[in-house]
Amino acid sequence: MRVSLQWLRDYIDLPTTEVDELTRAFDYLGHAVESVEEITADWTDVVVGKVERIEAHPDADKVRVTHVDLGDGELHQIICGAWNFAEGAIVPVAVPGSVLAGGFEIGRRNIRGVESHGMICSERELGLGELHEGIMVLDPGTPLGLPFAGVARLPDIVFDLEVTNNRPDVMGMVGVARELAAWFGIDYRIPPVGVGPTADGPASISISISAPDGCNRFVAREIRGVTIGESPLWLRERLRRSGVRAISNVVDVTNYVMLELGHPLHAFDAERIAGGRLDVRWAAAGEVLTTLDGSERALTPEDLVIVDDEGPTSLAAVMGGARSEVAADTSHVLMEAASWHPATVMHTSRRHDLRSEASARFERGVDPNLAPLANARACDLLVEISGGTIGAETVDVIANSFEPLVVTLEASEVRRILDERFTAERSSELLGRLGLDVHTTGDVLTVTVPTNRPDLTRPADLIEEIARLSDYDTFGETLPTGQAGGLTDGQRRTRRVHEALRGMGLFQAMNLPFVSQEELDAFTEGGADRVVTVRNPLREDQGKLRQRLLPALLRNVRDNLNRGAGSVALFESGRVFYSEPWSEDSRVPAQPERLAVVVAGPFGARSFEQDAQPANGATALAVVQAISRVVGRPLQRVPEAHPGLHPGRSATVMVDGKAVGIAGELHPAAAAQFDIDTRVGVLEIDLEPVIAPAPPAQMQPVPTYPHVDFDLSFDVPPGVLARDLLEATTAAGTLVESANLFDEYRPEASARRSLAVRYRLRAEDRTLDSDEIAGERERMIAAAAGLGASLRGAGGEEDS
Amino acid sequence: MTGTGDAPAATTNLTGSMDPSLDELRASAAAAVAAADSLDVLTAVETEVVGRESAIARARRGLGSLPAEARAEAGRTINEAAVAIQAMIDERRALLDAAAEERQLAAEAIDVTLDYRAIPTGGLHLIQQVIDEVSDIFIGLGYHVAEGPEAELAWYNFDALNTPPDHPGRLESDTMYLDYGKPEDEMLLRAHTSPIQARYMEAHDPPVYIVAPGRAYRNDTIDATHLPVFFQIEGLAVDENITFSDLKGTLAEFARQYFGPKTTVRMRPHYFPFTEPSAELDVSCFNCDGGSLSCRVCKGSGWLEMLGCGMVDPNVFEAVGYDPETVTGFAFGMGVERLAQVRHGVDNMRIFIENDLRFLQQFPG
Repeated sequence: MRVSLQWLRDYIDLPTTEVDELTRAFDYLGHAVESVEEITADWTDVVVGKVERIEAHPDADKVRVTHVDLGDGELHQIICGAWNFAEGAIVPVAVPGSVLAGGFEIGRRNIRGVESHGMICSERELGLGELHEGIMVLDPGTPLGLPFAGVARLPDIVFDLEVTNNRPDVMGMVGVARELAAWFGIDYRIPPVGVGPTADGPASISISISAPDGCNRFVAREIRGVTIGESPLWLRERLRRSGVRAISNVVDVTNYVMLELGHPLHAFDAERIAGGRLDVRWAAAGEVLTTLDGSERALTPEDLVIVDDEGPTSLAAVMGGARSEVAADTSHVLMEAASWHPATVMHTSRRHDLRSEASARFERGVDPNLAPLANARACDLLVEISGGTIGAETVDVIANSFEPLVVTLEASEVRRILDERFTAERSSELLGRLGLDVHTTGDVLTVTVPTNRPDLTRPADLIEEIARLSDYDTFGETLPTGQAGGLTDGQRRTRRVHEALRGMGLFQAMNLPFVSQEELDAFTEGGADRVVTVRNPLREDQGKLRQRLLPALLRNVRDNLNRGAGSVALFESGRVFYSEPWSEDSRVPAQPERLAVVVAGPFGARSFEQDAQPANGATALAVVQAISRVVGRPLQRVPEAHPGLHPGRSATVMVDGKAVGIAGELHPAAAAQFDIDTRVGVLEIDLEPVIAPAPPAQMQPVPTYPHVDFDLSFDVPPGVLARDLLEATTAAGTLVESANLFDEYRPEASARRSLAVRYRLRAEDRTLDSDEIAGERERMIAAAAGLGASLRGAGGEEDS
Repeated sequence: MTGTGDAPAATTNLTGSMDPSLDELRASAAAAVAAADSLDVLTAVETEVVGRESAIARARRGLGSLPAEARAEAGRTINEAAVAIQAMIDERRALLDAAAEERQLAAEAIDVTLDYRAIPTGGLHLIQQVIDEVSDIFIGLGYHVAEGPEAELAWYNFDALNTPPDHPGRLESDTMYLDYGKPEDEMLLRAHTSPIQARYMEAHDPPVYIVAPGRAYRNDTIDATHLPVFFQIEGLAVDENITFSDLKGTLAEFARQYFGPKTTVRMRPHYFPFTEPSAELDVSCFNCDGGSLSCRVCKGSGWLEMLGCGMVDPNVFEAVGYDPETVTGFAFGMGVERLAQVRHGVDNMRIFIENDLRFLQQFPG
């Protein structure tokens, strides 16, 4: 809402015109000032003159020689190329020495042998508009010699206010004045109405409302004898500063009154209303209406229309129809001020993409009882600037009545919500400033709210008004005390996982959760199902919700490699979505938290002597182990091929026997799909089972007796996993403290392989002797033999 | 080497007069030790002057041939000389050891400005860092951290939060809806984190002190100032005597902890369906303290628009089964991207979702 200070002062005698003070007032009233624009004259020395005489130029036929009275009793000879004026016209004149916009200096010039002492200016030359076809012709009676800046009411200041959706009453200059009056505790004025000349006789157009669920009230009045033309400068200037283009006097008046009172209006050419009657009804499917912007619009039964005998002639509240539009030859006008249901306007204006100053107001909910005033004001103004007389009869059809609302408020409630300062007296005084009628009995306020404040229906609404007018700066700063907070166990574990991944050199990524069906299918056997679809996606190819974090992360890998990154290590945690009931709330789709990791290129510690190892599936498996240690819960890796993963480097990650995710290496074909030509270690697991509460770790006694280390190297048949070998050999002994597999030799994928293990033996209560050690070894070798593994040769025994 | 020439003289002297010859021996040994300029030379000198074939050793072996009455005295004198010589050697060795170590260390000097080795570290996303930091500030004020579903019932996103049935926010042009479930249980991607409030209150009795960070979704095309998916942090305090001043004080404390101890706040009235009264909170500009018209952060206004807040609307309490007569409360919601942008000078929101390492690596926190 653009507010011209010049205009605003018609309705209120402000105690200050300081921009800072007014900005603060608007801000603290809740109408945030988005910008302040100073509108200044871009010129010097332009004065009002009267063209007394016009002569032809003796030697040029495109210009004329004018003689202009500048109020100094002399006639100044000025050559002018515009033809839109005659003798007697009042015009703005830039006198010799004046400087126009852009530094254009006006001097005495000689044009083909005739002296020219200045220039008669167009709108554009004065920065007041775009018109440049002719010069500006001012209102007759404008005093000659007057500086034109004063005539144009410059300088001015325009505040652009952000008016919140709940405040239709502030969408007009008078409403803004009402707010400032409440803030400063002063009075404001509304423009007088009923002052225009009236004519006898009944209305010639009848009105009815067949859709009371769309229209509350329809006020109409006729004006006859109107002359269509340009609006006077003052009116056009006010429209311009409000951001509204001047069109013609009738349309300008409807816009002016909308900006002034906040109530949109529409003017019909009364002669073009077929059958002399208008009805408000819902459109029928298949009906069409050509609106005044020339578009033919297909209507739906959700559109409210104004119809005459030939069908729809206006899209109610949103845009008039071309058929009944005011045109250059119009002289009989029907001025409409109607009250519409906000939701109807909202849907229709959006459906037809016709959002306007009018729809913005109706959507908020214009005071239904404001229509008669707006109508009367528009009629008065129209006859003032375009001539004619106002019909004696105002047609006022009321489908729904609105009465002021009575709200009871206890001052103790104000104190409970705000603070102790708010006595009944103080609360009453603040509400009274808003023009609300307040009766106070003890601590109880009985407040009558006029229909221009539909946002005030409950005590809470009034408390907000009290808070607002008391100035938010006057509130103290206190802190609630006594409560205890903190993270949950799961939240702490999640943070620990994040921190651990960060410590490993991974960066956290955050991707949008929208994907295509193809991306969903990339990691799902036989294609993804249980997909959740967005009904109104931003892009059709991003219309599904992700079921995996990996695809987006792989795109991040590709993009970063393409940008020149030598390696990319990322993790992401976030929700994935399935169209099945969620375990935490069966009413919404399943949306568990996931954790995913992608690693490509050299990863880990590096030195001059040795670069970091290129990441692959083993890297991802190592990250699984690291997470396992951080959360203090075993994450088992079980060989299993998964779609999108290298079939020989693919594992199911399990917690307590339940599959929680996958880990391994990206399948070369999948890598190619993502345009990645390096190995990528990938992992994606459900977070919840990983961070679930675990019993506190218990201390094991720190050993006091020495250990014995020895290595065994086994020849292992295909199909026996490293884990099987370790479990079998460890279980066979009674003294094994740890077993670490430290080397694998495999000549080819399908052959037997050699696995080297370092075992550490220890007894809690004694130093081991060589017989015990030998016995332990024999049992372990025997256990390995049970798996088909034979000893290749033992490493040297090594005492601690 | 230097000692070899002197040794025969000492031997000769020993057979004759004991004392002067030992003195000479000590002197020549001292000279040899002092002249030893390396540990190897010193070891050779040691062998020569106190070794098995040294004059001292021979003198000790010759004690047996002395008259019994002279033996004790001669033995003592020889020992004294031996101990003195050994002490000289040890002292010299310590010196040479130290020098050798010094040379070794000097030889091993590295350029400490060079990364011979690297231990990589990663980083949390700047958005995550802000979420964790803000959560921690409120945990310090006694808050829990609550979470909730992103695919949400329209009821929690709108109705439970007192949003009118015809609020424009419900339109498909603003909010993203899901094809899921029964038509009467309209499902959407939550447009703000506020539904977590409603859910938390349904599940917990007052008092409630929570912050709820999470994703929110709007039907906005990606550009420098809009993301269709962004993060908010919601706050809610419900108790028996929570006032508007408590709201202001809590957010002032938050602002001081997040932006710096000199930060001040101001509130301006605003409109949200779920709070009454409602306010926008501005924080004083941490960059210029409100003192610079050309400040790049606040554009000269001295204030930064930071978040929306207000007292919980009684309709919200009723929707979740709380009695608005017995409890009051406040709620606030802030944009995480905004918090990050303002403090870290991020001028384009797009960068938050691009996952460009050249951005991520700038915030290795």
